[in-house]
Amino acid sequence: MDTYKKAFLFNGIGSKPEKLLINLPAPLMERYLADRDAEFSRLGLHTDLEQNTPFDRRVAEWLISLLCDRVVFDHYTQLGIIPDIGAGYSSGIVSISACFGSIPDAFAHEIILMNRTTMQNLAAAGMELDMGVVIGFGYEDAEKLLFPRFSREELVIGSGNSVFCTMISGRTEAVRRALELMLEEGALKAIPFGTGVAYHHPVMAEYAQEYVDFCGSIDYQDPVHPILSVFDNRILTRGEDIMLENQRNVMTPIRWDLAIRELEQLGVTEFYDVSANGAVKKFSRLRSRRCKIYTLSDV
Amino acid sequence: MREITEEIRQEITDMIFDYYAEECEVDRNEITMDTNPQEDLGSDSLMFVELIEMTSEKYDLDVKLQSIGKYMLKAPMDTMSDVVDMFCKVYQYGNDIVNQ
Repeated sequence: MDTYKKAFLFNGIGSKPEKLLINLPAPLMERYLADRDAEFSRLGLHTDLEQNTPFDRRVAEWLISLLCDRVVFDHYTQLGIIPDIGAGYSSGIVSISACFGSIPDAFAHEIILMNRTTMQNLAAAGMELDMGVVIGFGYEDAEKLLFPRFSREELVIGSGNSVFCTMISGRTEAVRRALELMLEEGALKAIPFGTGVAYHHPVMAEYAQEYVDFCGSIDYQDPVHPILSVFDNRILTRGEDIMLENQRNVMTPIRWDLAIRELEQLGVTEFYDVSANGAVKKFSRLRSRRCKIYTLSDV
Repeated sequence: MREITEEIRQEITDMIFDYYAEECEVDRNEITMDTNPQEDLGSDSLMFVELIEMTSEKYDLDVKLQSIGKYMLKAPMDTMSDVVDMFCKVYQYGNDIVNQ
């Protein structure tokens, strides 16, 4: 039987660049800046984010997360910390696919860029979508509160993050009403992302066809380390499965809470947060006291 | 309702100040009862959740975040004094804090 002790956890979008980069040690920052300049130039993005068009700015911010992940991932492995398995939260799936060797980094960055087409499709169709994060409600509590009052066409729980944190996704008006309701019912915080997209809601399928096609446009290598699916807890070891995981990512709800639990059950005791600012550790919770999430500042 | 002594209140105060000093990377002596945890220290709701979890564990409390959230609708946490008062009430009343 395979034994898993160390798991690498990759974050999705959401961290503001200034918060993400603040604690990056100087040598890592140097490497990040060199990578960023090269990739932004190749992809036609401005490193001064304000100079980009609104959609470009958004994908540029997301790209910064991926570039940071690569720097932190390489730092960990150079220190001899080698993962036995890993998992990616939302666009963290794109990041882990590259870091675990299934796809080239350049292709991962181009996948992120394809979100621009999805946003253009949504804007052209006049779709008003959004997402929001709620602190104070786990998945089950959110389900109980929301789904007598909303249809799943309006809204889904895009991710159960942990016992105290969920992400919701759907039509802007429904997201707004749901966040208000959750605040009234005791959420410590409930804020909209204002992204104009509803990642992890099935409605995205119709507008993300180019994205999905692009994800499937190259052969994926088998990952160097297995990846746990955050959609159904399968252990993925084949390139084809990693491709499907990327394709379903935009339109399928995540259960990050269950993925973390599954990793613990598989025997993982050391979790490494690959985000530069320790964001994954903040919204994830482990059950066993034997387990710990390490961040960049810990190692 | 649990009795709260001056000793416990001081222990809770110290725990909260130490926690914010460490998490927000500020000198413990710079934090006063008038400090605004969000604006002055840059704290966030995830830090607040961790503090609640620490307190629950330390004092063996079973309190739902939503009970605290409902209390906070009536009593926002604008200063460290508000935070200390709230945690003392959590210690005393547990989930019944919502009715205080």
